[in-house]
Amino acid sequence: MNTRDQKTSGWNLSRRSWLIGGGAAALACAGIVLDRYRRMQAVCVCKNQRYDGSLVGEISDALLAVGIDPEWLPGKRVLLKPNLVEPTRDCPHMTTHPAMILAAAEAFRNWGAQVTVGEGPGHVRDTDMALAESGVGEALQSTGLLFADLNYQDVAWRKNRGGRSSLKGFYFPQSVAEADLIVSMPKMKTHHWVGVTAAMKNLYGTIPGCKYGWPKNVLHYNGIPETVADINASLPRTIAIVDGIDCMEGDGPIMGSLKHMGLVIVGTCPTAVDATVCRLMQVDPYAVPYLQLAAGRLGPLDERLIEQVGEPWQPLAQPFAVLDQPHLKELVRHRGVLVS
Amino acid sequence: MDWTKPILDSLAAQPAIGYLPGAALAAEPTAIAALALAVHGRHEAAQRAADALVKMQGDDGAVGIRAGEAAPGWPTSLAIVAWSAVGNALRGVPALPGVPERHRGRSLQDNIGRASAWLLANRGNSIPRSRDFGHNPELIGWAYAEQTHSWVEPTSFAVLALKAAGKAGDLAAREGVAVLLDRQLPGGGLNYGNTYVLGQLIRPHVQPTGIALLALAGETGGSERVAKSIAWLRRSIGPKTTPLSLGWALLGLRAQGVDVPQSDEWLAGVAAQAKSVHKLALLALAAKGWPA
Repeated sequence: MNTRDQKTSGWNLSRRSWLIGGGAAALACAGIVLDRYRRMQAVCVCKNQRYDGSLVGEISDALLAVGIDPEWLPGKRVLLKPNLVEPTRDCPHMTTHPAMILAAAEAFRNWGAQVTVGEGPGHVRDTDMALAESGVGEALQSTGLLFADLNYQDVAWRKNRGGRSSLKGFYFPQSVAEADLIVSMPKMKTHHWVGVTAAMKNLYGTIPGCKYGWPKNVLHYNGIPETVADINASLPRTIAIVDGIDCMEGDGPIMGSLKHMGLVIVGTCPTAVDATVCRLMQVDPYAVPYLQLAAGRLGPLDERLIEQVGEPWQPLAQPFAVLDQPHLKELVRHRGVLVS
Repeated sequence: MDWTKPILDSLAAQPAIGYLPGAALAAEPTAIAALALAVHGRHEAAQRAADALVKMQGDDGAVGIRAGEAAPGWPTSLAIVAWSAVGNALRGVPALPGVPERHRGRSLQDNIGRASAWLLANRGNSIPRSRDFGHNPELIGWAYAEQTHSWVEPTSFAVLALKAAGKAGDLAAREGVAVLLDRQLPGGGLNYGNTYVLGQLIRPHVQPTGIALLALAGETGGSERVAKSIAWLRRSIGPKTTPLSLGWALLGLRAQGVDVPQSDEWLAGVAAQAKSVHKLALLALAAKGWPA
């Protein structure tokens, strides 16, 4: 979001006012701000975004707007975690676009961070194939960015700090366990089991397939909502930058249809970001099982506790088609599923 | 020069390897290294790789992901295949100085026996049939992690292991074959192990298709579906296929009797770009084929 876009989008908020308001509040989620802001979280929605646009500036400004402090970042290990669950060239709207990853990397590098891109694809053991099919491998090579294969890295054990599932702890790959900041970079998609996948569910990809399987069936057996909440509670400090430009609706997260939204959504609290993503998709965030578990513990779902900076979400919301399945009806009871 | 020579020289110098450079020793890459060395006649190095796997075997017979990691035990299957191949390769080879005698006698068979017993006692979970899934979830194969569902690659590895251990006729092995036949997609190919989910057909992938076809080699059932998978795999690979997918695809096709005339050219080209010793070992193995 540059000055031009602020004018064209009719914002009245200056960057300074963001930093005073949403910024400080957002830092609460990252644990680097005053206690009095702890319950409020800032989420920044950027509209009219394009993969060939000025994403570095947009993402940088959005990160500042939600309270990232550039002075904290020099030398910090920042892990960008895109969604490359099961890439195929035939379906680019399934995976985080390479342009988003490169833009976020440049933003953090400009602030002096040590940036690594890491992913443990959920459905494919050949990570090179996932990188090739998604276009991410070529993009990383062109910029010299390091890639961490989270499915096969050596692991470290961390206690389950969520306590929602019966798992005592998690094996996290070294790059995850040792990160100073993890940036969840999901694709904005519907999900055929849990309704929506965005910042929180994307973090399944921080779990190593060699220990949990392809798919990560140990997590499924312990409850998808419960383990999504537990992983989020147990990871190092995590923020979110959502690729909401070309999205997926219907039979996501793999087989759904393209839905163009042109959005980038940024926040320091993945729960608050996901609640906003749900509202943008016209899905009830309180009906998403893992958000129910996260509410009030990992972050707010309540609009009154989410400070919307950048664009207001209401004019941008569009109904995402959802599978006509009994377990998904509650998500969209207010407006219908739109697809069979 | 034979493109496999520098790879095999490197493996001979360090036959126990990890998934990634500088990473801890891991069972799957070491088993692949043992197989590559064995099929290329590098017996002494293959024995050292096999010995590294012996050291990773737990008291219960399982071989975990890395040394000191007890569970999950899905690499146990690959260790069995590697031990068997190394043992077979050594038959008729004069004693080598410094080679532990146990590789040549009963004790390696003991390792295979204990690992096979663990494998047979640790199959995947079945779940009731459901309209949500296209495959038959009541059929039992093998899982990645104990007490979870059966998936294509661990089931394939287990079938290969039981065949290597002389247990191809065991009921569990037969059911594993049935799982692999059941998980093939209507248009050919397999993925990690779903066919339809909530009525939606799922896409095939190269690597699991190659591994499943390798395990299904010599099976007589499901020939029409297997033929479709072979055809899908044959047209899905090329010089730009990534190392692991290409290696497993060519192993599967060769085992099914399918000749790929460009295979050596493709393998050499991909090997020239690959940096991981694990991937290079698989490419070298694919150049010769899975051990008989």
